[in-house]
Amino acid sequence: MTIYALARTARLDLESFAHDCGIHPDLVLRLVRLGLLDAEQDGFGGPWFEPSQIAQVARIQRLRSGFSLNYAALGLVLDLLDRVSVLEAAARHRPRRTGVSTWT
Amino acid sequence: MMADRDFYEALGVSRSASQDEIQRAYRKLARKYHPDVNKEPEAEDRFKEISEAYDVLSDPDLRKRYDAFGADFRQVPDGVDPQAWRRAREYEGAGAGARRTAGGRPGTGTGGFRYASASTEDIDIDDLFGGIFGGRSRREWGPIPGADQEAELALTVEEAYHGGRRSVTLAGAGGQRSFDVNIPAGVVDGQRIRLAGQGGHGSSGADAGDLYLVVRIRPHRRYRLDGRDVSFTLPLTPWEAALGATIPVETPGGEAKIKVPPGTSSGRRLRLKGQGLPNPRGQPGDLYAEVEIMVPPKLSAEEQRLFEQLAGASTFDPRKRP
Repeated sequence: MTIYALARTARLDLESFAHDCGIHPDLVLRLVRLGLLDAEQDGFGGPWFEPSQIAQVARIQRLRSGFSLNYAALGLVLDLLDRVSVLEAAARHRPRRTGVSTWT
Repeated sequence: MMADRDFYEALGVSRSASQDEIQRAYRKLARKYHPDVNKEPEAEDRFKEISEAYDVLSDPDLRKRYDAFGADFRQVPDGVDPQAWRRAREYEGAGAGARRTAGGRPGTGTGGFRYASASTEDIDIDDLFGGIFGGRSRREWGPIPGADQEAELALTVEEAYHGGRRSVTLAGAGGQRSFDVNIPAGVVDGQRIRLAGQGGHGSSGADAGDLYLVVRIRPHRRYRLDGRDVSFTLPLTPWEAALGATIPVETPGGEAKIKVPPGTSSGRRLRLKGQGLPNPRGQPGDLYAEVEIMVPPKLSAEEQRLFEQLAGASTFDPRKRP
């Protein structure tokens, strides 16, 4: 029988997440409601956040203050930027065709 | 450096530009250089520059002061006559060993902005950036971590094979930066090397973003890469191809010997298993020698005779259907 060690998943509760992001918990909840942040719900309905979402909040903050975007438009901008990165990464992996053979 | 550049020049507008023109120029440039849109390390500096220029030129009072006093406008106390200021500066500049910083009064102008005239070393990048990302909406946001950046790292096939240390110089926030990067052996085209904390600056002491070096493998005169598999063309004489031979070849990892089996035709791929690019996490790539049979462009009398003899004796017809 294989015994699995209990792995602690790195998740942050609302208060610690808001603290680490330097924003008010109400604003965090608002970003979740707007679908700009991913949160998981525990059995009591409270949100839990992956640490990677801190970088997402920073991105939201930079884009919002840089372009005076409202939150609804931010969702679109974030999605489009993500799609552009995926396409750019795919373009990088595709062999570039120069002449007949692809010399790399 | 950015503090030296004229604000109008930074936005690419004339000194007589209207508020609309200034706004339009700023919006266009901001879309191009915003650190979340443009991942090049230089973009952050450029974005700070245009944001600072816009902050000043979009405010009619600040713009008036900037027009009157130039780059020192933040240090000039209220009510100073521009003409008198200019004369005083010229006088000061003419004096031996005159310092241009005029005392470097901190905290004049907008919230906590430290500014030190034309000399650039006193500017606190963190403060400057805080002014841009935290400044306008400070009530809502706290410190904002910096954005991730990407730069290209061009490597030769040999460098990708062997890995090792390499010095990389990039333009970035606060001038040029050099990094000693440890390149793992067997990096492939498009792979990203992460330099933690070397990306865009955070505001008000927040963490910096990461810098990703995206590996780009330079075209090579001999090798073609497909992931970690390396192919190259192996030219053979007709007799080597017909009789078989052991040929020494250059590979990215050094010299190797390839055994060509008898009866090898052009286009055959001979595989040297595991001789492609190494893989730190698994199977290394393979090396493929693609056979190309070459004929002497001019035959000697002896070669001519032997080929004719072969033509007479051989019944081989590659065009005959099996």
